[in-house]
Amino acid sequence: MHIQFTQEQLALRKKVKSYMEQLMTPALCEESKDPEFFEGGGPEYFKALRQLGKDGWISLGWPKELGGQGATALDQYIFVEEVMRAGFQYPFLTTDAVGPVLASHARNDIQRSLVQQILQGEIVVAIGYSEPSAGTDLASLKTKAVRDGDHWLINGQKIWTSLGDFSEYIWLAVRTDPDPDKRHKGITMFLVPTASEGFSITPIKTLGVRTNATYYENIRLSDEYRVGEVNQGWKLITGQLNRERLALVNHGPIELLYDDVRHWAAQTRHANGKTLIDLPWVRSNLAKVKIGLEALKLICLRQAWAMSQDTLQMADASAAKVYGTEFFVEAYRLLMEIMGQAGTLQEGSPGAVLQGRLEHRYRCGSILTFGGGTNEIQKEIIAGAGLWMPRSR
Amino acid sequence: MDFSYSEEQQDVQKLAQQILTDKASNERLQQLEAQGAIYDIELWQLLAEAGLLGVAIEEQYGGMDFGYETLCLVVEEMGRSAAPLPLIPLMVSTALSLQQFADEDIKKEYLPKMVSGNCLLTTAMIEPGNENMAKPQTSAERQGDSWLITGTKYCVPYADNAERILLSAQTKEGLAIFLVNPQNPNVKMKRQYVTVTEAQYEVVLNGAETEQLIVLGEKAITLTSLCQQRVAAAYCAMAVGLCDKMMRLTASYTSEREQFGRAIATFQAVGHRVADCYIDIDCLRLVTQQAVSQLDSASDATEPVMTAKIWAGDVLHRVSQASQHLHGGIGVDRDYPLFRYSLWAKQIELSCGSSAELLSELGARIAVHSEPM
Repeated sequence: MHIQFTQEQLALRKKVKSYMEQLMTPALCEESKDPEFFEGGGPEYFKALRQLGKDGWISLGWPKELGGQGATALDQYIFVEEVMRAGFQYPFLTTDAVGPVLASHARNDIQRSLVQQILQGEIVVAIGYSEPSAGTDLASLKTKAVRDGDHWLINGQKIWTSLGDFSEYIWLAVRTDPDPDKRHKGITMFLVPTASEGFSITPIKTLGVRTNATYYENIRLSDEYRVGEVNQGWKLITGQLNRERLALVNHGPIELLYDDVRHWAAQTRHANGKTLIDLPWVRSNLAKVKIGLEALKLICLRQAWAMSQDTLQMADASAAKVYGTEFFVEAYRLLMEIMGQAGTLQEGSPGAVLQGRLEHRYRCGSILTFGGGTNEIQKEIIAGAGLWMPRSR
Repeated sequence: MDFSYSEEQQDVQKLAQQILTDKASNERLQQLEAQGAIYDIELWQLLAEAGLLGVAIEEQYGGMDFGYETLCLVVEEMGRSAAPLPLIPLMVSTALSLQQFADEDIKKEYLPKMVSGNCLLTTAMIEPGNENMAKPQTSAERQGDSWLITGTKYCVPYADNAERILLSAQTKEGLAIFLVNPQNPNVKMKRQYVTVTEAQYEVVLNGAETEQLIVLGEKAITLTSLCQQRVAAAYCAMAVGLCDKMMRLTASYTSEREQFGRAIATFQAVGHRVADCYIDIDCLRLVTQQAVSQLDSASDATEPVMTAKIWAGDVLHRVSQASQHLHGGIGVDRDYPLFRYSLWAKQIELSCGSSAELLSELGARIAVHSEPM
């Protein structure tokens, strides 16, 4: 066992780090402070995304046969970590979930050109999975597509369509077989242009960021926008899940916050005259975050390594998702406690600590435990697939 | 980066697992407990014959020279079996310290017989109210070629059966490490009954004489710190085995046990608590692997070992309590194996630093290493 990065991996980290420093121009940093562009979508954002595409970064983790560089899951993890540390809102779902799936199923010029646009950082694709009555039980989705010659007629509603307000396409899961016995086997994937007639979008303001509800009213769409076989969409949805979940719990951003908070605590005085970091409870909170962080880092690296070796166990992937998301919530709390009431000051306010980043993370963090497959379902998977316990009824 | 074990390491672990599964059955352990056996001498011999005692000992002393990490795989299996074996006091704390620091004649005298299972040597890690081996109250004075040692050591495993005890003492020339013969007339021993069945002793030295000085000064400080780290990390490896077994006992028991007409594992409150154990153990395994592999590669492992031991203290407690709870009454019944694991869980939780103490130490280290922005 050798839990250290190779020279090549260290070199890659250094390269991505210095690349990202250049990419995060003052203009981009300024733009991303605007609540409207918290998750990207502004002109500076797309300029940077196109640059990432031009410089070949988007294709890093794609298989070679799809025009990618075939980087290992570990290399990809390092890339993701540095991009996140830099604070760039990289559209992982577009570039690493939808992109490779689309590339491996592309069957006409429209789809092949979309793959190129994704690789070049020209477009962002939003995910249209959840519906008001289909969340964790995604296979109960009701948005439907009915065939009409060379076309399909799409009707329904999606919710939590994040990034939909600046996406060119929605990666849409729809029901194409109404037979209630074919829940998972009656789903087909489409790429729906947001410019289509019958598409509309309304914002949902959340605790943290903006997301959307999207509506599909008699959208008439050419069969050329169907991805994969009819009724075979479920596999396309689940194929990239482990990669997505790993990106979700990447340890980079929380390690950065931990480092920033401890350095901040080393220069900040408490009312009693002592430096914050000399107070026992501050040290205790930092130590608790540190040991949790070590475990998170190892769990993520082990998962990336297992993916590189093709030996990833389902239960371990679920364990990483549950552990990581619950740790984030706990770590934000422990770190904010150190700041005290100053932890509630938002970015831009006088006295805001570390640009209000923790305050913002707190507001975004609560979606993680249920997003990307709710943690209770992950625990069911662990008990069933990891320990062979009989399923709950 | 590589999270896998080499083929030879896997072979060692499999062999240990095979022997221990075979020979350390619940019935056998009950029998040993009824006899008040200090440890399983027959099993110890079998492990010696299989070469498993010497996995981390160099070939010239009869070992396999596979390193500390491989030894910890055997320790993990020992934890999984809960068999009473002096592997940590003998091979981790004592043999590895001697191998690294002692003179050739000492190594030649003791290591081969330790590897072949024919002699026990142990280490005195703590004193009354003092768990830091590097800062002993015990003192030693030179007298010609030998030393006279005075002080009290606590919880010395197997001291009464040991041919020698490795211990630290303060001298005018700095910290020193000695081997002392417990049969020396100026050594008095009293059994200390602890949470587990392991035989531990209070060892009172009153001018006990020895000529076997192992190291003095800076090297003695290095020896104590490495010894404490290796023991702590080995306990973490043992904790991985213990916790994994407790969780698996719980998973299979709750899958069989029926109440309200169904297996209790099908209640989500039950299944999710076992899943929480799975996540906890996954974390414990990873931080332990990190600490062990750092120690194995001889790089500074101070923080990784602290981190692993904090996790071990917490996870042992949580998994033990969850397992006891989910078993209900059968879990506390001494006819069923779980109680042994729970007792070891508490024993290790409080050995080599509790989670609370280590968290405070780690916090102090973080403070020292955090510069103002």
